[in-house]
Amino acid sequence: MAQFTIPARDSTKEMRYQMGYALADLAGEYENIIALDGDLRSSSGLHIFEYFHPQKLIKVGIAEQNLISVSAGLSQEGFIPFPCTFDAFCRRFMDQLYVSVAYSNLNVKFLGAYVGLFTGKAGATHQSDKELGLLLRIPNLHVVEPGCNEEMRQVLRTAVETDGPFYIRIVRCEVEDDEIGAVYKFQLGKGVTVIDRGADIGLVSTGYMIKTAKLAAEKLAKMGIKVRLDHHPSLKPFDTEMLRDMASKVNAIITLENHCVSGGLFSLVAETLTRAGRQIPVGTIGTDPEDFIHTGHVNDLLARYNMTSEDVVAKAKEMLKVSKK
Amino acid sequence: MVDQLDPFEYEKIWRPVRKDFKIFQEVYPHHRQYDELVTQTELLAYLIRSYSVYEMTCGALGHPGGSFSEAEILAVMFNYVLKFDPTNPDWLQRDVLYLSKCHACPAFYAALALFGYFDLKDLKGYGSWDSFLESHPDSNTTPGIDIAGGSLGQIPGVAVGRALGIQRHGPDEGSRMVYVIIGDGECNEGSVWEAFMSAGHYRLDNLVFIIDNNKVQAKGFVAQDMSIEPLADKLAAFNVEPWETNNGHNVAELIDLFSTLHTQRRGKPNAIILNTIKGKDIGMCELNPNWHTSAPREVSMAQDWLMELWERDGRRLDVPEEFPRKLGEAISIVPPVHDNPDQIVEKQA
Repeated sequence: MAQFTIPARDSTKEMRYQMGYALADLAGEYENIIALDGDLRSSSGLHIFEYFHPQKLIKVGIAEQNLISVSAGLSQEGFIPFPCTFDAFCRRFMDQLYVSVAYSNLNVKFLGAYVGLFTGKAGATHQSDKELGLLLRIPNLHVVEPGCNEEMRQVLRTAVETDGPFYIRIVRCEVEDDEIGAVYKFQLGKGVTVIDRGADIGLVSTGYMIKTAKLAAEKLAKMGIKVRLDHHPSLKPFDTEMLRDMASKVNAIITLENHCVSGGLFSLVAETLTRAGRQIPVGTIGTDPEDFIHTGHVNDLLARYNMTSEDVVAKAKEMLKVSKK
Repeated sequence: MVDQLDPFEYEKIWRPVRKDFKIFQEVYPHHRQYDELVTQTELLAYLIRSYSVYEMTCGALGHPGGSFSEAEILAVMFNYVLKFDPTNPDWLQRDVLYLSKCHACPAFYAALALFGYFDLKDLKGYGSWDSFLESHPDSNTTPGIDIAGGSLGQIPGVAVGRALGIQRHGPDEGSRMVYVIIGDGECNEGSVWEAFMSAGHYRLDNLVFIIDNNKVQAKGFVAQDMSIEPLADKLAAFNVEPWETNNGHNVAELIDLFSTLHTQRRGKPNAIILNTIKGKDIGMCELNPNWHTSAPREVSMAQDWLMELWERDGRRLDVPEEFPRKLGEAISIVPPVHDNPDQIVEKQA
């Protein structure tokens, strides 16, 4: 019956497809979950949800403003709507999100697909690496960027079980099922220390960049550099306490985000540390806020913006040199 | 006796026709209660305008044009059409009335107060620092407001979602309706047409778009700034059934239309194009874009407005002349709560 190919659950590590499965699972548990598609379902992963719950997918067509407005109305009738389209198109509904959803504090859970650099060569129009600048400053809104599939599943569950508006950034690339450990449980507003080998340098990651951070940490460890890695899936609210703790224990910090280095994770870190009066060098890994991202293979994009683990290692070495002067 | 008149004791002048707001019951012209319904609804519209003048002048802000053009439709909705419960604003079986042209909330607040959602005297705080009545409505603070708004074009889509949600609840909520009042200028917004498109697509016959076609947008005439005509044809082409009133200020015509609409559940949404006059009943405001935004700057002007409303409607509806006079005397512009050491000046809109 399905119009689109449904990747088998065990055959794919892409977060978008696992998101489709996870949301379908939750909808089996919570009858009032409903998904809304802006005509991108087989790209966003919602086609998997549709396969299991064809009656629970509402299609609004290519109409992003209406996608959010209709979700707002549905939430007022007790449904838990998960509107979903490409994350970049939040630029088209930002005001609906701001006024109808966030100001009214409605129970809408937006799923942004294709966040950051990974759009399958869709180019500047489809890449969303600037949007956190406003999203992180919308009152009432929770903003979360999971880094692995297990965390994504927990984030979705948290969104269902927590009243209020959520904005969830879902990456397109393959991610590990678990980057953090079986004991870990996602908590809104909390970061998690993934690696703690001592005090040389702190890596602060969000989203899929946890993978890059872990690879870099291993490489640095081999060079005798001790790394603490804190992962912050919850960007709003942000775990400032964990960050301040890290800043009191390391010589320098590097932020890693699938977003430009202004308005997102780096800005949260810089604001938090400045406000706390902590003077510590903070380096950035992420895209350039002055760039429209070109079309390109992901390898080329990561190379262009120095976002590989090698770049993290180089930056760490450079920063430790500076901070030890 | 008349000298004792308290302008906030509206019960002495007007009372709702229905005993139970949870019930909609058709009243036809041949019914004994019809004349009373029409008169009391006209009186309600008169009071909505009068208290809006009071509210906007005290608050030193507001949108008189759009508030005056919607007075009759609000009066008809609350006095006749809507199923609601002011003592339990979140009553699950209620009809939903969204005001999408949110700037015209002074009239909406006045209507809510007259039906007991909050104290009529609270209207004085409209737009002031310590008040729960925002310049554009906030659903978190104001009882009876279903969604926050102020940025135009969003709430028609919310109404679509609401109607869709009600439909999905199944047959037991079959009689629940969603109404959304949209400005004609607001129809410039593309998102309004996304809402029309989806309402038609989903055949939401529990949804009524009410377009306050008052001919004037914020800074000019709709026909000149950005025409929306032929509106009825456009709606029909979107699978929305258009209904046009000859005169959106004729309470009897509106009552009759809703008595008919109640029977028109034909698998498509309805839209009412209300032919209204922006600024209705205040001569200087009528069809004048200068009075889209802006409350009277002087209390004396507001008092003149109240007397003009009385001359036009109050007198024939047997409202004592003391009412507008006393209400005018009760007006005082609410000052800011805080001093401003830097003497920054911002003039009233």
